[in-house]
Amino acid sequence: MSLLSVQGLKVHYPVRGGVFHTTKAVVKAVDGVSFTLEEGETLGLVGESGCGKSTVAKAVVRLLKPTAGQVVFEGHDITKSGAGALRTLRREMQMVFQDPAESLNPRHTIGQILEEPFVIQKLGTRVERGEWVAELLGRVGLPEGAANRYPFEFSGGQRQRIGIARALALRPKMIVCDEPVSALDVSVQAQVLNLLLELQRDSKLAYLFIAHDLSVVQHMSDRVAVMYLGKIVELAPVAALYRDPRHAYTKALLDAIPVPDPAKRRERKLLTGDVPSPINPPEGCAFGHRMKHPRWKESVGMDLTLKEVAPGHWVQPCPCCVG
Amino acid sequence: MMAEDSHASVPLLEVRDLRAGFQTDQGLLTAVDEVSFVLGAGKMLGLVGESGCGKSVTARALMRLLEQPAGRVLKGEVMLEGRDLLKLPLEAMRQVRGKEVAMIFQEPMTALNPVQRVGRQIMENLLLHEPLDKRGALRRAVELMEWVGIPAPEQRVNEYPHQLSGGMRQRVMIAMALSCGPKVLIADEPTTALDVTVQAQILDLIKRLQKETGMAVILITHDLGVVAETCDEVAVMYAGRIVERGPVEAIFKRPLHPYTKGLMACLPKMDHPPKTPLPVIPGMVPTLRDMPVGCRFAARCPNAHEESVTGWRQPWKECGGGHGVEACVCFAKEVETVGEIGHASEGNRIDEKPIGTDSSGASEPTRAHGGASEGTDSSAPDGEIRQSSRSEKGREE
Repeated sequence: MSLLSVQGLKVHYPVRGGVFHTTKAVVKAVDGVSFTLEEGETLGLVGESGCGKSTVAKAVVRLLKPTAGQVVFEGHDITKSGAGALRTLRREMQMVFQDPAESLNPRHTIGQILEEPFVIQKLGTRVERGEWVAELLGRVGLPEGAANRYPFEFSGGQRQRIGIARALALRPKMIVCDEPVSALDVSVQAQVLNLLLELQRDSKLAYLFIAHDLSVVQHMSDRVAVMYLGKIVELAPVAALYRDPRHAYTKALLDAIPVPDPAKRRERKLLTGDVPSPINPPEGCAFGHRMKHPRWKESVGMDLTLKEVAPGHWVQPCPCCVG
Repeated sequence: MMAEDSHASVPLLEVRDLRAGFQTDQGLLTAVDEVSFVLGAGKMLGLVGESGCGKSVTARALMRLLEQPAGRVLKGEVMLEGRDLLKLPLEAMRQVRGKEVAMIFQEPMTALNPVQRVGRQIMENLLLHEPLDKRGALRRAVELMEWVGIPAPEQRVNEYPHQLSGGMRQRVMIAMALSCGPKVLIADEPTTALDVTVQAQILDLIKRLQKETGMAVILITHDLGVVAETCDEVAVMYAGRIVERGPVEAIFKRPLHPYTKGLMACLPKMDHPPKTPLPVIPGMVPTLRDMPVGCRFAARCPNAHEESVTGWRQPWKECGGGHGVEACVCFAKEVETVGEIGHASEGNRIDEKPIGTDSSGASEPTRAHGGASEGTDSSAPDGEIRQSSRSEKGREE
């Protein structure tokens, strides 16, 4: 059994307006996403902004309630869990956020921030909690004295270490990392990525790793899911996805990565336009619609559930983007 | 508007020995120190470095747009076609901004006025600098929007910034910046807030417009991939100073400064084995309050060197082909090797010049750090470097 299994996850938001505050339209932020995550594994989630990556992350840890679908974590469907059950569950699943400056309370010391998970879970005595905080700081490579200082006294990379320490506090089995390094400089980014890898090796953590930087995702992941407009269009083991992308959107995304080697300059096929709005998205294959592909019409009304084209390599079978 | 190829190598903009900083409660903090570079017409220069290294301060100092009242340009020259922008009267400087030197910013949503239609914002610059009436300016605004690839420009001119996507907003910014045909465009992290696919579109657009107008571009970025794909030349900044600069091919093929090397090594690459540790640059950038006088990278440098490198100013070395580096003793040996391999025709000679005086006409007494650094100008440190590189060689073998 997988550690985490997401089936047909949908998160829709009504857009209200007018005199009677009636529903005018529906934003389909996430529209039928399914994947699994094994113990000790990293699943990368990539896509352009607005494709629903972060919404998936929040739905997985139940920071928001999905409209439909199942999120099964260790055999429990957490979409149906009440507040008490969720509190127990949160020992097992934690989250690291993008902006460490905004996700740490500026008026709390680092000690207070790291102690809070234990307080909420009613674990340990004051003295024990102090010891645990010191141990956490050590694990993420911060000095013990940091406990008495405030978030503003730390650099971006150090703050992200504090965010990671907080996520580690209750010894979870899974951490959802939502763009953990995109606010950091490259030299600091490498330090934080190395820390995440080291922690995963030591404690068999599973990561749902969300990022828009495809080379970072490639470095961190075992498998990668590519999202476009609320749907997964391709899911494959990392090597297969980068070597042999099948969906046109994956190809376009990989082609857009700037390569840090001037000898490899090339003419690129540029993607035109922006990600269409998830309010009333087009029927059928949304990417084929954006590219105005001649065979897009065929995908309307088709069953676009992912099909396995090679072992573990799943692709949305639309005629316009896969061929 | 069209560029003539024969002018391509004439330096259009020359920055010499620029020092800028901020007056704060803790005294004067120098954010940019002894920055010098040359930009030819039609060239694209990448200014690379991590946050806080002084890239944006350099750009704003050129435009004399440092935040007031704290910002100060302390020293140096910014020569645009022979005129020193730093000495121009304010009124003349206003004529330069937007007309001869234009700037685009990282986050177009904060740079655009949210309560004014985008067409009006493009017209503002045109009405200020060009002999156009309102109708003419509006017509020109529509043409400009079409030129930068905004679909249905006749309708878009009447829209507000929030109605446009991030990529379209950045196109509007570019249309504004290019409305009066500037000679130099300063692009401060123009694609950092955008998705990779849109980033590719915007970079492609800037390159196309550069080709069409012959303008020179200073591209400020932290992304080495972007630099490798778009720029002709690179200047790598660290802690307020340029530590290495040169043609993009040379810098990427043979980076000399340990910081440049570290920066390139710690990028996750396609051929790096996944889920294995990446090389890192340990430690942190020194704060503005306690900058070492000499090599500012010494505390994080993987090479072994004596304590003294932080005590006296490291010499600047030119190694031919426009590739220059702040040659700290810890790697000076390698600089010589490159000179021999890459530029054998020049007789293995490495020009050693003090920072900031590598361009003709720069005055000698502009050096800052008193007695300790004076010694580096004479021939003595050359011998010292050779000596220490020999001893380092001995250590390695």
